[in-house]
Amino acid sequence: MKEQKGLAFNRLAALTDEPLLKLDTKKLMPLPYLDAEPPVKPPPESWLEKYDLSLDWHSPVGVPKPKTEQEKAELVRRFLSGLGKLFDPQNNWTFLKILRLTTDYCMRCQTCSEACHVFVASGHQEIYRPTYRSEILRRLYRQYFTPSGKLLKSLVGADIELNYKLVIRLMEVSYRCNVCRRCAQVCPVGIDNGLIAREIRKLFSQEMGIAPKELYAKGTRQHLKVGSSTGMSVGGFKEAIEFIEEDIGDRTGRKIKIPVDKKGADILLIHNAGEYLSWPENPGAFAVLFDAAGIDYTLSSEPVGYDGVNYGLFCDDVELARIGLRHVQIAKKLGVRKIVVGECGHATKTLCVITDRVFPGDLSISEIPRESCLPLFWEIVKSGVIKLDPSRNNFPTTLHDSCNIARLMGIVMPQRNVVKAICPQFREMTPNGARNYCCGGGSGFAIMNELNFPQWRKKVSERMKTKQILEAFRDCLDPSQPKYVIAACSNCKGAMRDLIGHYGLWDKYRITYGGLVELIVNAMADLPKPFIELEFISNE
Amino acid sequence: MEVVVSYLAWVAVAVFVLVGLYRMLRYASLPVFLRWELYPVPTEPRHHYGGSYMEEVDFVKKARHHTRIGGLIDMASEVFLLKKLKDYNQFGLWPFSFLMHWGIYLLFLWFLLLAVEARLKLGVFTGLVNFLGPVAFISGAFGSLGLILKRVGNDKLGSYTTPEDYFNLIFLGAVFGSGLIAWSYADLTFDCTRALIKQALFFEASPLPVPFWVWLHLLLFELFLIYLPFSKLFHYAIKYLTFDKILWDDAFKVKDSPLDRKIAKQLSYIVSWAGPHIVPGKTWLEEAQLTDGGGEK
Ligand code: SF4
Ligand code: SF4
Repeated sequence: MKEQKGLAFNRLAALTDEPLLKLDTKKLMPLPYLDAEPPVKPPPESWLEKYDLSLDWHSPVGVPKPKTEQEKAELVRRFLSGLGKLFDPQNNWTFLKILRLTTDYCMRCQTCSEACHVFVASGHQEIYRPTYRSEILRRLYRQYFTPSGKLLKSLVGADIELNYKLVIRLMEVSYRCNVCRRCAQVCPVGIDNGLIAREIRKLFSQEMGIAPKELYAKGTRQHLKVGSSTGMSVGGFKEAIEFIEEDIGDRTGRKIKIPVDKKGADILLIHNAGEYLSWPENPGAFAVLFDAAGIDYTLSSEPVGYDGVNYGLFCDDVELARIGLRHVQIAKKLGVRKIVVGECGHATKTLCVITDRVFPGDLSISEIPRESCLPLFWEIVKSGVIKLDPSRNNFPTTLHDSCNIARLMGIVMPQRNVVKAICPQFREMTPNGARNYCCGGGSGFAIMNELNFPQWRKKVSERMKTKQILEAFRDCLDPSQPKYVIAACSNCKGAMRDLIGHYGLWDKYRITYGGLVELIVNAMADLPKPFIELEFISNE
Repeated sequence: MEVVVSYLAWVAVAVFVLVGLYRMLRYASLPVFLRWELYPVPTEPRHHYGGSYMEEVDFVKKARHHTRIGGLIDMASEVFLLKKLKDYNQFGLWPFSFLMHWGIYLLFLWFLLLAVEARLKLGVFTGLVNFLGPVAFISGAFGSLGLILKRVGNDKLGSYTTPEDYFNLIFLGAVFGSGLIAWSYADLTFDCTRALIKQALFFEASPLPVPFWVWLHLLLFELFLIYLPFSKLFHYAIKYLTFDKILWDDAFKVKDSPLDRKIAKQLSYIVSWAGPHIVPGKTWLEEAQLTDGGGEK
């Protein structure tokens, strides 16, 4: 589509319910080895009457349409109030410097665009360009908060029409970015459009309480009040542990007691609680591996302590600090030497990197270290303490890197070393490691299922990963041969389940997915039978 | 006019340096932010594959190794080759941007050599100066013009480009263009330019008449120097902050370190966001410590 010059940004303020974009599978990036895919379904009339879906007919939030002029004006007023706070050193000390530099120094060269899987997979739709939302925020800030913008207006690009439609669409478009920060990797100036998407989300969450239900009301709010973003209570957690112990018995013939609340253990292991509900074999495999390797660890049954998730990372610094603080306080109370985070990318990055600077000194990383489980896996495998038989994993595997772990923490080799040691038919997908593409479920997308957002996710943000997986297995697509995508991250696994189901990759090509620790345990030579079954269970 | 150009030279250099420093200090004085590094971090010994110290078990206990040289090589490849633009820009901006940037580097070098030559009365630079000038003008003018045409001719680039962006490119084009005209039309041997530079440096009247194009070129360059630190073109210095101080800042916090003390201070800032989960009037630390998660929803 030819973009109208100068009008590109003000399209966001168009006072119409017609969406700026209607997704059409024919215009999306083509997928190899797939002849057809399910068509895009428009939203039902009842939603269109109730919610503002005027960005692209999809939404993870579903903002009810404001009814009165007063409500519309109020949306704009609150937005502007939040925008001012984003640029205030007290209210946004957490990211202000990065935001300011990003706002002030983008050279508008668009080098970042082609690095973005969302933009490319969408068939280069302008509203998904990494710089699109940034440019609008930049222009609005200049327009309302800087002398040059007030004085010179359109000469410096301070020419955005601000109305309630723009406010709603801007919020929506901030949820069309996985905050994977691949775009920032290629920017010649070091500008970060992923950060801008997050800052916009933050404005809406921290100032207006507007965020996808799964991140906020059922996410951080539920996490802090009930104990887990899954809604799992302490009792539910204990039942899950009992179930896993039984399951371990069934799978391995071993009777393993999973340590919970063991004071003074060496390690506090924190899983994403989604694992207990969706993939209990994953914490189960941890238990088998750590037991066999003689690791002194414990889980916590304290509210928040048994769920490593921190959805504040995706949209809210206050919630981020609250949940992170609770995790570290629990570790301190247990008297463990360090925290190890299970197979969850965002939980790992949040605890090991992001929250380090929102805690007082005695909760610093120097005092209570936080680490990913992946280097520990490699230590165990490398040490030879467990006898492993790679032939037990003799099927094609490929490795998806969680952005949080690879690009944003620089943990690239330990998982590869493990995989190479235990999977004889391993092949890399391209690109990989720190240059990987997001699974499409990043920044909470994997769990955001409101309205028809899953459709957008499957069609657009998960599209590039689908292509990569198919290409990685192109030499062995024959459905008689099962294949396994390794995703050492809970949210990434959610995305894998989603895309494999949607594009029929199991039915057509016998492609399934799972964690890394399951493969290690699967290779344990002294287990009587395989730990995993190569099957695919859809969530639909 | 030559007198104006002479005096303005001092003002221009002073503004360029002082405003530049002031802006850097202003940015540097903004609060310490949360870690937001991005791999590969070139100061990491494992940067060739994007690895970090966090690949090690018990990394807190182990010695950290930084390779400053890795950062310097990365920065140099950006400054001199515009590597990211070359490798990733899909709009074909690199050749023009490369020429423009080298035009600027050479122009600065050219002026510097002219000043050194005049100050130290060195004749050894004469050949080099006479060569560098035209190369800078041609390269810079061609590059700026190319970038303008690229933006005008491409809808995608064009719709993001503001009048301010065009002004920057036109301004640069004018600096280079005027230099090119001055050289080819009025000052092939740069004798008049040298005379004007001397006049600016020693406040003595130029022994030669200074043609219009020569003083115009100098005037534009001086105005450009003044404008530079106020504009987005200042990104040449900002890159130090965005890369070295943000994307490569992978240091974890150590209790009682200067960083820890700064963070402690910032944790006492008052949060005044109005979201329903935020309890008004509390500091960041107090907000984080609300064990029931604060406000309702
Ligand atoms: S974010 Fe960077 S790469 Fe993208 S347009 Fe701006 S300067 Fe260019
Ligand atoms: S952060 Fe990722 S999804 Fe977001 S704009 Fe950048 S590349 Fe695209």
